[in-house]
Amino acid sequence: MNLKEWIFTTDHKRVGVLYLIGSIAAFIVAGVMALLMRLELSAVGPTITSNPTSYNVWLYAHGAVMILGFQIPALTGFFANYCIPLMIGAKDVAFPRVNALSVWLFYVGIVLALLTFFVPDPPDVMWTGYPPYSTITTGNTALYTFTVLILGFASIIGGVNFLTTIAYMRAPGLTWNKLNIFVWCTLAAFVLQLIFVPVLGTAVTLISMDKYLGTHFFDPTRGGDVLTYQNLFWFYSHPAVYVIFLPFFGVLFEIVATFAKNRVFNYKAVVFGGIGGIVLLAGEVWVHHLYVSGMVDWIRVGQMVTTLLISVPVGLMLIGLVGTLYKGSITFETPMLYALGVLFLFLIGGLTGIPLAVTSLTLHLSDTYYVVGHFHYVMAVAGTFSIFAGVYYWFPKMTGRMYNEFWGKLGFWITFVGTNIVFWTMMDIGVKGMPRRYYDYAHFAQFEPAHKLMTIGAVILGVGFAIALLNWIIGAIKGKPAGNNPWGSMSLEWTTVSPPPHGNWPSPPSVSEEWTPYAYGRR
Amino acid sequence: MSQHDVAHHHAGHAHWDTSIWPAIISLGILAWALAFSFHFVYHQSFTALIVFGIGLPMIVGGIAGWTSESMGKGEGLAYGAMGWFILAEAMIFVTFFVYYWYMRLMAPSWPPPGTPQLPVVFPLVMTAVLVTSSVTIHMAEEHMHDGNKAAFLKWLLLTIALGATFLGMSVYEWNHLIHSGFTIATNSFGTTFYSITGLHGSHVVVGLGIFLAGLLPALKGNISESFWRTASLYWHFVDIIWFFVVSQVYFW
Repeated sequence: MNLKEWIFTTDHKRVGVLYLIGSIAAFIVAGVMALLMRLELSAVGPTITSNPTSYNVWLYAHGAVMILGFQIPALTGFFANYCIPLMIGAKDVAFPRVNALSVWLFYVGIVLALLTFFVPDPPDVMWTGYPPYSTITTGNTALYTFTVLILGFASIIGGVNFLTTIAYMRAPGLTWNKLNIFVWCTLAAFVLQLIFVPVLGTAVTLISMDKYLGTHFFDPTRGGDVLTYQNLFWFYSHPAVYVIFLPFFGVLFEIVATFAKNRVFNYKAVVFGGIGGIVLLAGEVWVHHLYVSGMVDWIRVGQMVTTLLISVPVGLMLIGLVGTLYKGSITFETPMLYALGVLFLFLIGGLTGIPLAVTSLTLHLSDTYYVVGHFHYVMAVAGTFSIFAGVYYWFPKMTGRMYNEFWGKLGFWITFVGTNIVFWTMMDIGVKGMPRRYYDYAHFAQFEPAHKLMTIGAVILGVGFAIALLNWIIGAIKGKPAGNNPWGSMSLEWTTVSPPPHGNWPSPPSVSEEWTPYAYGRR
Repeated sequence: MSQHDVAHHHAGHAHWDTSIWPAIISLGILAWALAFSFHFVYHQSFTALIVFGIGLPMIVGGIAGWTSESMGKGEGLAYGAMGWFILAEAMIFVTFFVYYWYMRLMAPSWPPPGTPQLPVVFPLVMTAVLVTSSVTIHMAEEHMHDGNKAAFLKWLLLTIALGATFLGMSVYEWNHLIHSGFTIATNSFGTTFYSITGLHGSHVVVGLGIFLAGLLPALKGNISESFWRTASLYWHFVDIIWFFVVSQVYFW
């Protein structure tokens, strides 16, 4: 293997694999942060550290690295890079060098994020960076700003690259209504990135300007306004949930259609109603993150309506998934187990979100562990399970080898049990009044047994993920040869050899009139 | 990958495309990010200067190397891609303007104390210079389509000169205002005035950078239609944004 051809590669598949390696590394680091927090909270009083600032730094690193370093790069970096050119029958992306720049900037962002553990006065502003704290803390807010800016720029140029690729480089005969659902989802996610990432980039730049250049954007004594930051931040960061949600649902559609051997149910409703509806509504719901920050009542009511409305397109996509299962001939390989696991987790996460959308209930639930439990169900673990499902699913394509099915399934069940122990308990004690973000909870000592239980659950969860990671590493080195299309999928990426060569196909593929990625006999 | 596969793989595709320039530019950007922290957070300005100095040739050289490696070899898709990039760019300006409007309309009185009288004629001259440069780059493009390389280069150089004049006038204007005691830290108007004009100015710098990156290959006769159409589109965008800047910041 020629190392230079990997490090300086411009090939979309290798760029994708570099994204995967980086995001898995970020996942491990952020996962360790979560375990440290859980250990700290396993008993009342100081346990593994007596310095509350350490806890804040873990909290910052866990959130920022999981979202910006793991989920978004894994979904819009790895899966998009690896799968989109293969799914649309292209030999590469439109701008291979720009693609290489994206992945390199992603690594620069990861390095900056990891510097948190080595620099004096590390950032301690959570992943949200709210002023006025972020502008007066002794922590290094600039590091946070530059991490976000560089990762943001990487996703913008990545988005430009992929929108151009999907628009102009599809194989002959591959019309818009024959695109894989995953391609549609990723396309929508990139449109959201292009519209909303610049707003986040601006917001985090403004806090560093306030802190280091003496501006007064968020300084009320000089005409600035603190709440504006929260608005700008969530104007991106709520759509960011859909940037994660859309591609991970796309991955689920590919897996469910393949293992149910069935066409996608309601393709047009999923694409135009579901995906299109989310793009339209994504920018109109952010204020529900600020319900308790102070605003006039009519805005609260309006945002409650739009927030509840977004369950309509999301519901259309869920119906599409369940309808694809209906009367399919389903088999339960590891990717399918993870995918069905997501359906369960996402349902719990989605339903527990409704009370949070309702303004009267949210006053009680805001800033409690209920919120933490909810968004971990709906986004964090649902997204992570989808990423694991997708890596298992395309593993034979990437490596030409098979992972171990037994350890795959075992890993899934262990993770699934651990997940529910941790996050169900969180929602339970949240409703009973346990506030989030506390380093110590002497005033809430009655929750100590629940915290102990969650710590045990977190360790179980960690073991499950570790089994999956080891399964991939061992499978990539010495798994059995998998063949080109082990799942019998109709989608275009399975028509080339595994792993695909540079240029993907010896001669560019074209597709017939009757072909769709989901043409499984019964139409 | 089995031994057989490896052999087949290497025999069929011995070569995978590579480019070192994305890596070099990225590391340059890393250096600049660190330089900012050294200077503003840890107050080690000498270290900051050195780290910044390491980053500078990496970024400039990286862009030059990238341009000469790839000029004219793409799929001709850059024009469409620039449209998407401009959408993202426009959102940055939207954010600044929304902030500015919100702050201004919520303020108890306007302008806040400490704001000097802004000049009226000077920004109009700047507008004229920038609009003219949009016309000249269009002329350059027309000559490129006709295959008249000499005329193309002449109009291009004129555009670069006008862009540089605009930047020079901005610097003069800032310098003048700062010396009269109006800085970015004076009040909320100073904050938005300097950040919005500075943001626009940085786009002029990027536009000029794109022109210069393409100028070196162009002087050697390597003129890519796709590159210059795209560069020209970006320059028109920078021009149009200036109308918003000048009308909102100077004349409202």
